[in-house]
Formats: sequence, C-alpha cells, structure tokens
Amino acid sequence: MKRHRSPIGSSALGAIEMAKSLLIISRQAPWSGPGAREALDIALAGGAFDLPLGVLFLDDGVFQLQAAQQPGQLQQKNLAANLQALPMFGVDELFVSSVSLAERGMDAGNLSLAAQPLDEAELSALVDRYDQVITL
Amino acid sequence: MTTLHVLSHSPFGDNRLASCLRLLGNADAVLLTGDAVYALQPGSEPRRQLSERRLATRLFALEEDLQARAIDPAGLALAIDYPAFVELSIRFDKVNSWL
Repeated sequence: MKRHRSPIGSSALGAIEMAKSLLIISRQAPWSGPGAREALDIALAGGAFDLPLGVLFLDDGVFQLQAAQQPGQLQQKNLAANLQALPMFGVDELFVSSVSLAERGMDAGNLSLAAQPLDEAELSALVDRYDQVITL
Repeated sequence: MTTLHVLSHSPFGDNRLASCLRLLGNADAVLLTGDAVYALQPGSEPRRQLSERRLATRLFALEEDLQARAIDPAGLALAIDYPAFVELSIRFDKVNSWL
C-alpha cells in the first residue's frame, strides 16, 4: 500500500500529489445516527483510491475511539473493524482533539485506534494545511 | 490556506459553533445561514462568544435568514445576499460546511 507524506510540515504536498488533500472531521458519536459510519466510509473509499487524506475525531466523534464497545447490544455492526482498516487503506493521518478527549474523561493512550492528540492551536494549523475539508 | 466555515444549525443545544470557533484560523471566516443566525440573538451566550472573538469583517450572516427570524446583526456580523455568498466561497481557498 502506498504511503503518503504527512501533510503536517509538508508544504510541498500539493506539488507532490496530483490529487488534492482532504481532511475529514468526524464529530458524531458512533451509534446514534449514520454520521460516524459515513465519515469512515468516505475515508476508506478515499484511501482505496490513494487520495491523500486525514481524519480528525472531534467532539462526540472521539467516542468512536472508545475501547471495548459492544454495539451488538443495539443490533449495530461494530465500527472497530472499519477503524482498524484505515491504516491498511493508507489512511494513517489520524488525529484526535485532546480537548474533546479531556472533556469526556478519555485518555489518548487508551483508544481503540492510535490517533495523534492535537491541542487547539494545532487544530487550526491542521485545517489550514489540507486542500479540502468535510465535516460530518 | 484560508477557510470559510459555514454553519446552518442553531447554536442552542448544539456545539458546532463552539467547536468551529475552537479551530478557526486567524484568516478564516464564519458564515451563519439558516438557524445558525440565532447565534446573533441579542443578549445570548453565543452572541457573547462571537463578540469576544472580535471577528470584525470575518463574520457574515445570510440576510434572508436574518430577516425571516427577526435577528439584527448590527455591530457584529455583516449581512450578505446569495451572490455575496458565492463570492465569499470563491474568495476563500476552501469552504467547510458543518453538516
């Protein structure tokens, strides 16, 4: 699987890649609606086409990364497998808001998927560096 | 790269506006459409947060949505029409709609 250079600190990204870079901001909790799964589907589809993209988990979106969830109790399919597939699809730019984690008493070291915690200033810098942004 | 953040949900009982302000860059702008114009409701907490950020010429609201809801943007946001909405979308490098 082709690996992309990190958009962080890489101002030449646009010149290297033909495709525009895309940041997907996922801010929905996992089981109350289709938002979380749809954001993930966009990321996996983009990754399958080798698009340079990143995913930021923000607000209730960080609940998607909670370990040991049992969505089968709600007759829902687990998102964990899809999340684990992200790096396999070349989507390894995974970020999470440290403020959103802290607000919910969650620890960046105890997530179901390794994502880089970013503080507020780093969040604006992240949005700034991508060509396109989708918030779901 | 500059971003135009477009909000369309009421800020009451929803944190899109708050989160948007958290990751807003120094050259980014905010456009309030639909129920998001309620953020300009005088005396409200969202309006206070918006004035605190001193966005000046970087805060816009759709005129017809303001008029429909009897919201006065005076002194805080610039009321714009749809052609100006289009111009804004072009002026900024990208548009981020908070769906």
